[in-house]
Amino acid sequence: MTALGARVRPLRRYGIFALLLLLLAVGAVSSPEFRTPANVANVLNQSAALGILAVGQSFVIVGGMIDLSVGQLAGLVVVLTADLMQGRPELTLPAILLALTLGAGVGAINGGLNNRLRIHPLILTFGMLSILQGVIFVYTDRSVGVVSPAFRRIADGNLLGVPFAAILLAVLSLGAAFLLHRTRFGHHLIAIGGSEENARRAGIEAARVKLVAFTLSGLSAGIAGILLAGRLGTGYPNAGAGYELDAIVAVVLGGTALSGGRGTIAGTIVAVLVLGITSNLLNLLEVSAFVQMLIKGLIVILAILVNQPSRRPA
Amino acid sequence: MSRRTPAWPADEWLRFLDRFAIWIVLLLLLAVAALLSDAFLRPNYLFNILRQAAPVGIAAVGVTLVMIAGGVDLSVGAIISLTAVVSAVLMEGDAANIPYAVVVTLLVGTAIGLANGMLIAFNRVSPFILTLGMAIVIYGITQIYSGGTARGVVAPGFREVFNTRIGGLVPVLALAFALVAVLGMFVQRATRFGRSLYLIGSNAAAARLAGLPIARVTVTAYAISGFCGALGGMALLARSGVSSTFAGRGLEFDVLAAVVLGGTTFEGGRGGIDGTVAGLLVLVLAFNLVNIVGLDYNAQLMVKGAIIIAASALYARLKVQR
Repeated sequence: MTALGARVRPLRRYGIFALLLLLLAVGAVSSPEFRTPANVANVLNQSAALGILAVGQSFVIVGGMIDLSVGQLAGLVVVLTADLMQGRPELTLPAILLALTLGAGVGAINGGLNNRLRIHPLILTFGMLSILQGVIFVYTDRSVGVVSPAFRRIADGNLLGVPFAAILLAVLSLGAAFLLHRTRFGHHLIAIGGSEENARRAGIEAARVKLVAFTLSGLSAGIAGILLAGRLGTGYPNAGAGYELDAIVAVVLGGTALSGGRGTIAGTIVAVLVLGITSNLLNLLEVSAFVQMLIKGLIVILAILVNQPSRRPA
Repeated sequence: MSRRTPAWPADEWLRFLDRFAIWIVLLLLLAVAALLSDAFLRPNYLFNILRQAAPVGIAAVGVTLVMIAGGVDLSVGAIISLTAVVSAVLMEGDAANIPYAVVVTLLVGTAIGLANGMLIAFNRVSPFILTLGMAIVIYGITQIYSGGTARGVVAPGFREVFNTRIGGLVPVLALAFALVAVLGMFVQRATRFGRSLYLIGSNAAAARLAGLPIARVTVTAYAISGFCGALGGMALLARSGVSSTFAGRGLEFDVLAAVVLGGTTFEGGRGGIDGTVAGLLVLVLAFNLVNIVGLDYNAQLMVKGAIIIAASALYARLKVQR
């Protein structure tokens, strides 16, 4: 890194943190409701599914790839788990196992295909998105099944006043941060994202590392699917639509380079909170959904202009 | 690149494969289709496939130029949606309004493309996220503009003209697609702008050293993409009469799939519009094939996904035989 890079880095790394503080300040001043514990819990609950998806996506993007299939994968998990349980509490555990296996399994298929076929991950996982969407709608085109009470509690319940979903997100994020920044796998993944050629020459088994990254991303979709199912209470086939793009946006706003090789889990989580608080504030201020969309887009553009100064010194 | 025996004919053969791989895939698919149903041997049906492909195809011409230069434009789906609504609203069901509506619609598309291009060229941000953000903004604007429902009335005659079959065979819409593609190929091959795109895409640093006006070329490419998106929006309106707010949602990925299948890479510097046309035809043909075999729309989605993956893989295999 050059001197310039060192000077730009704090802004790139902490800009999103500053934005979070600013939003919190604006919220506290402009809406008395914003500060209430109920609303804070609400924001955390609503952000949890996206947060988990974004954490999974962080691995794939840091490794220089992308995964568009996670939204529909979470949607498939929602439909299948709700339909399996039909509200019966004794099926909670099998449903969770189904969610995790299905998520990790499809993730591993993505990873395996990515290693085997010579096609860009964007196209590969877009194909997978389309396949999963087809599978969901062949299975059902209307909401099916009912989740068990335990599923609901995972998504909406709390422990000593702290929402379960937030605890889950925090634990998973800490685990993910450890995995990415403190283990050999994480270092290898970052190296591959920086330059796969160099990483290979250094003796890194790129194919295996990339397979694990995609599997983690799929697993995150499985977990996010559990939370979404718990929130919705039923197997809504469109539950996951669009989440993949929100997750990618969060990862990039959090300072992870889309070209790979650089990124943090902490940044991703802060970006998820920024997105969640923004939409919460706009809701509290009773801004129409259409205008909210416009504002969200403008925030993405502004944040990218501030946050991602250059792709690479040319 | 070190090859043990650089025999000339093998080299030529590889280059041929490299260039025409997607056309070979297309012909294979057409052969399979013809075996399964003789509908695919009827010119009428084949021209109808071209007509179906027109909105995405026209938009893909612009996106190809952007991607040759190493960029990407994810806002085309949103541009298609917005411009379909804008042109329908401006027409107000009166044929006299058509010229005005067309001009304003094209200006809207081009202006969005200009905004994309300037933000990207002068800030050097990731075009993927920037145009994604732009897409969200445009969907917001479209919703505000339309009130969240389908709005506007297509002028009588507008759809009829584009869906007329010249000589009872070639739909005007298919012809329009062909015209845009040919114009695009001309720009890509025979103009300084087109050749600049390839140089910028393959080596931006060298292009800068060579004194190419990188910012201007980039902005122009995105502006053309916005312009083509607006044409695509009107083509969609002409094809289906739909002007709802999310008419074009997700089409950006169909466009990307066609462009990448056609051999233009995300890294830039290679490929071209001829490949994109073939890539798109592969996708549309596959979709029709599934349709004619009798699967419902949801099953078609599955097959579409599988075809995108399989065709890309087959293409990559044909291309890189070294």
